[in-house]
Amino acid sequence: MNIFILIFSILIYASFGIYNLIYILLSTLISFFSAKTLKKSKRKKLILIVIILNILLLLFFKLYIYNNFFGIFEKTSIIVPIGISYYTFQIISYLIDVYNEKIDAETNLFNFLLYALYLPYLFIGPISRYSQLGNQLKKKKKIKLENFIYGFMRILFGLFKKVIIAQRIIVIINYIVENNFTGSYVLLSCLLYSILIYCDFSGGIDIVLGVSNLFDIKLVENFDSPYLSENLKEFWKRWNITLSNFLKDYVYIPLGGNRVSKIRNNINILITFFVSGIWHGINYILWGLLNGIILIIENNKKSKNRILNIIFNYIIVSLLWIFFIYPNSIEALTKLSTIFYEFNYISLFKNLFIFGLEISDYLILIISIVIIMIFDIKKLRIKEEIKKMTTNKKIIIILILFLLVITFGRYGIGFNVNEFIYSKF
Amino acid sequence: MKYIKTFLIIFSFTLIFIFLNILFSPKYATNLIEGSMISEYYDEEVPHDVIFIGDCEVYANFSPIVMYEEEGISSYVRGTPQQLIWQSYSILKETLKYEKPKVVVFNVNSMRYNKPVSEAYNRLTIDKMKWSKEKIEIINNSMLKDETFISYLFPIIRYHSRYDKLTKEDFEYLFKRKKNTHNGFLINTNVKPYTSLPSKKILSNYSFSDIDYSYLDKIVSLCKKNNIELILIKAPSLYPYWYEEYETQIQEYSRKNNLQYYNFASISNEIGINYNLDTYDGGLHLNLSGATKLSKYFSNILKENYDLIDYRKNEKINKIYQKKINMYYNDIRY
Repeated sequence: MNIFILIFSILIYASFGIYNLIYILLSTLISFFSAKTLKKSKRKKLILIVIILNILLLLFFKLYIYNNFFGIFEKTSIIVPIGISYYTFQIISYLIDVYNEKIDAETNLFNFLLYALYLPYLFIGPISRYSQLGNQLKKKKKIKLENFIYGFMRILFGLFKKVIIAQRIIVIINYIVENNFTGSYVLLSCLLYSILIYCDFSGGIDIVLGVSNLFDIKLVENFDSPYLSENLKEFWKRWNITLSNFLKDYVYIPLGGNRVSKIRNNINILITFFVSGIWHGINYILWGLLNGIILIIENNKKSKNRILNIIFNYIIVSLLWIFFIYPNSIEALTKLSTIFYEFNYISLFKNLFIFGLEISDYLILIISIVIIMIFDIKKLRIKEEIKKMTTNKKIIIILILFLLVITFGRYGIGFNVNEFIYSKF
Repeated sequence: MKYIKTFLIIFSFTLIFIFLNILFSPKYATNLIEGSMISEYYDEEVPHDVIFIGDCEVYANFSPIVMYEEEGISSYVRGTPQQLIWQSYSILKETLKYEKPKVVVFNVNSMRYNKPVSEAYNRLTIDKMKWSKEKIEIINNSMLKDETFISYLFPIIRYHSRYDKLTKEDFEYLFKRKKNTHNGFLINTNVKPYTSLPSKKILSNYSFSDIDYSYLDKIVSLCKKNNIELILIKAPSLYPYWYEEYETQIQEYSRKNNLQYYNFASISNEIGINYNLDTYDGGLHLNLSGATKLSKYFSNILKENYDLIDYRKNEKINKIYQKKINMYYNDIRY
């Protein structure tokens, strides 16, 4: 099974271009041998150089995507390896953990290749640590009915979010962006983008986790009902958890975390969010810094009314997504400002059906969002209930999800279902 | 007991899934009726001595009912919109599973296309075909970049967005077919005279592609193997232009392969076609009046040159044809 997973991963990776494979293989081999050398000779410098090299390469690619490295390179002269951000962070986490002697360096190249090249998470995450995944990847995989049932359920739930919800919302947002709408339309697009990015990203993660489950591999969760957060600090504990944890463990804490003066702590927060912004892309630095600034201002405070806190936080997070809707930061700020002085709400209500969706689409969208909301609110209970269910009942859930996805999903000719927002980072 | 329950659940789901596939598939009964033509053939009760294969230039221009009335020839038009040559080849192979005609008539217009053109046309030809080796062949050869085989296997993947567009027709024709053609001929009684046509484009290359020739070779060899006379034709049409260079290549090919070739477009005056009266779209296709003239003309050629049975003398078959004739004139009237 492990050989099959590795060959499958390599083949798919190579199908995106042989340079992708060469880069990732070279980088993996260098990382593997540098960590192994450390184990033998205790030469820490080498591993440090490899870590810095990985960071520099990631920065190079991010800058290249941003503006071809200030025009030095031709637009098509360099191919940015697929999944570079996820891959690099995973390798860095491994090297730092080995460097800090938190884990032992892997001595078996096959096992390390399996960890570094495991395909499902290379496109969208979650960023998996070797300490969490190493042993799982090494162990002999078992074919269990329970794994298949849970795996398919998770895959279909992910597809439900992606093709039924995200694929509908994107129509509205694209219409607003393409037609240069301002004011209330921008506010609507921000509020909807929250749902879009959640369903797109967490839907993709559900698929990755589901596929891994089929192979008897349990990856870590990346979301914990993020829109139920009462402030931004809580949100970042529940949103893209693996990235947040990576930044906390490898950036924030090494900088001193909160065991320093207030001012220094605030600077640490800003640096951490700055790195988060860069990880997303140069265009997202401002988005990262604004997250940090608001988090510092909030200072983990919240009112006593939980519902109000959740709504307020949802609005803050939504407004910050403007940098994802308009990747040009100046344009994003300009559009954002129109929300506060252009009160064209009557026009918005009159034009609610001009966005390219049918009434039936709106109906499906609302029902589906309500389903996801209920699931997020009652997640633990629902998971427990599903656990208790008989196999036949679980099969019925899978079949219903399958019929819903296949009937009401927006996919096929003219749709880019295999493109996920977070797979471009 | 547990396994029986599991089996029943999966079985019920399979039935629902099959039902949804049928429900969402276009029925082509009253709208886009060209999509139903391919399947009407499967309901045929009479043998056919002549089979037409090709694009709209066959199903709009040749009326088997007129040919029967004129010379007693039993024929069928297995034409579909923009039928490409590899599709014609597979449809001919499929036809030979059901019967062995004496003559196959292939309209060479499709020689101008060397790759699939449109998903919509693919669907009109393929959707209602019975599943067979030939259907799989046609799908694999005709799919465009964005198309998937699985969407032909499970039409719900292609047509799921029809959930809010289902009409009475979708339920009425769930398990039955509406007969829209007369032995594959689609009646059109409208008249839209020829006025003008787009100017003739200069092409960079007038040569038919290797792929077209290879399929034409396959059709020739399939007919030879089955002892069938193959006739190449170019149906009358003013547009799209049938270039001199095309004509020369077909003439050359038919001479080399000892095939009969009729270019009816070049003798439309002799046939009596008047593009002010005999076309429903300004010269692209013939209407009923034009098709009747052409069918009479061609049936005389067939009768004179090929050993075809006069089925009017066969009581059983004639009885079936009389019903067809009644339906034909009934449809013309309404």
